[in-house]
Amino acid sequence: MLGFLAGEAARDLRRAGRVGLSAILLITLSLAALGCFWLLSLNLGRAVEQWRERVRVVAYLREEPRAAGVDDLLARVQALDGVQRVRFVSRAEALSSLKRSLGAQASVVDQLPRNPLPASLEVTPTPEAATPDGTRGLVQRLSAMSEVDEVQGGAEWVESLAQWQRLFELTGLGVGAVLALAAILTVTTATTLVLHARRDEMEIMRLVGATEAVIRLPLLLQGMTQGLLGAALALAALVTAHAVFAPRLEPLLTLTLGLARAVFLSPAQMALLLAGGAMLGAFGGLLAKGRAYS
Amino acid sequence: MIRLHHVGKTFGAGPAKHTALADITFGIDKGEFVVLNGPSGAGKTTLLRLLYRDEVPTEGDVEVAGFDVPALSRRRIPRLRRSIGIVFQDAKLLAGRTVFENISFVLRVIGTPRKDVTPRAFAALKAVGLSARAQAYPNQLSQGEAQRASLARAIAKSPQLLLADEPTGNLDEEMADEILDVIDDIWQRGTTVLLATHQAALADQLKRRTLTMRQGRLVKDEG
Repeated sequence: MLGFLAGEAARDLRRAGRVGLSAILLITLSLAALGCFWLLSLNLGRAVEQWRERVRVVAYLREEPRAAGVDDLLARVQALDGVQRVRFVSRAEALSSLKRSLGAQASVVDQLPRNPLPASLEVTPTPEAATPDGTRGLVQRLSAMSEVDEVQGGAEWVESLAQWQRLFELTGLGVGAVLALAAILTVTTATTLVLHARRDEMEIMRLVGATEAVIRLPLLLQGMTQGLLGAALALAALVTAHAVFAPRLEPLLTLTLGLARAVFLSPAQMALLLAGGAMLGAFGGLLAKGRAYS
Repeated sequence: MIRLHHVGKTFGAGPAKHTALADITFGIDKGEFVVLNGPSGAGKTTLLRLLYRDEVPTEGDVEVAGFDVPALSRRRIPRLRRSIGIVFQDAKLLAGRTVFENISFVLRVIGTPRKDVTPRAFAALKAVGLSARAQAYPNQLSQGEAQRASLARAIAKSPQLLLADEPTGNLDEEMADEILDVIDDIWQRGTTVLLATHQAALADQLKRRTLTMRQGRLVKDEG
């Protein structure tokens, strides 16, 4: 029975002609737009994750503690809320780090009468605390310690990156929703046209005792097929665009966001996109006017 | 097979109210061949439509093949219709399908197992003498052949009851006789037949029980 109904749906799709084709193209456009924003958001999300892991708060100490006092100080900082890891950086270590970063000009440091750099604690916040509010709280807690002279660091810029990510998500959803609505309306129009073309057939089906499900299932399948075809085309367009543009954009991504490569949708996400297309089409098919026994 | 008890049907309301059927009561037993005769507008088609639940009576009871027709829910209407074969004045064949496909389509949509479709469709075509035209399209058929194809489609699902609404209305005398012979064959195989016609001569020719209608009322039941 299902094979027969699928055959009828294919017949209906051919009958829908240009309107059916327009519906497929609109679904392609809406899902391609949605997919584009999804990809952008996915990669920005990865960058945000990566940068959240790199958020550090540095507490400069008034004096370098004696070796025996370092463990005690580290234990007290580790016990603070929002601290994932803490590392002690001695004055000597800070100086050699400076020399390393100066490279060829490192000899300048040797001219200094004494080491001007303070000892410090390099604090890695927990993932939950790696937010602007979280790091502000951590800065306050560290500043309250008598050994600490000054605290620097925060996550504001990471948060602004996250806001961009959310903006892309929302824009993608907005644009996708508008295009999806247009696609649903086009599928509905295509299916309604088919319904008119099938008037005689439906009347016969009705008179001989076909159930409403049997009468309407080909319309649903027709819509689903249009949706699936549209989604497959959108996916193909996204795969092609990714293959062409990703290698060219990757150096820029590395430089700006620190991402080694631009990832594509996972198999599960691709399946979701295809299922979304099929559902979009099915919904349009369901909305088509006319009930078998009305 | 069919029981109607004080059945009435009106359309519209107020000054536009039109009484199509009034106080119709009769019964048709299983295996009977009954002619429903009356001029155009007498209410024959409305009565037939009540039987396959295309209309609901305004009053009275309608029972067909054990179904309380007016009380049927929308989900159960297909069950009633599967027990009835319907033939109209125009054959209502689907233009884009061959004669065989017109019949197999009907069998498929009512859920006939795939393996049974072809034998049943050909058996129906053989019963109406149209096997040789199985692959013809409706526009390649004469009116008589088209009506025979329509009959084949109606009987392919082995209905208990055949409703024929002016099946010979568009045909010349010779073709009409052919169609009546086919319907007679179908009846002789055990199908109950109710044939509506406006032609009094045809009713006389058939020599069957005849229900005569005038202006929505049953005025005679004889034979």
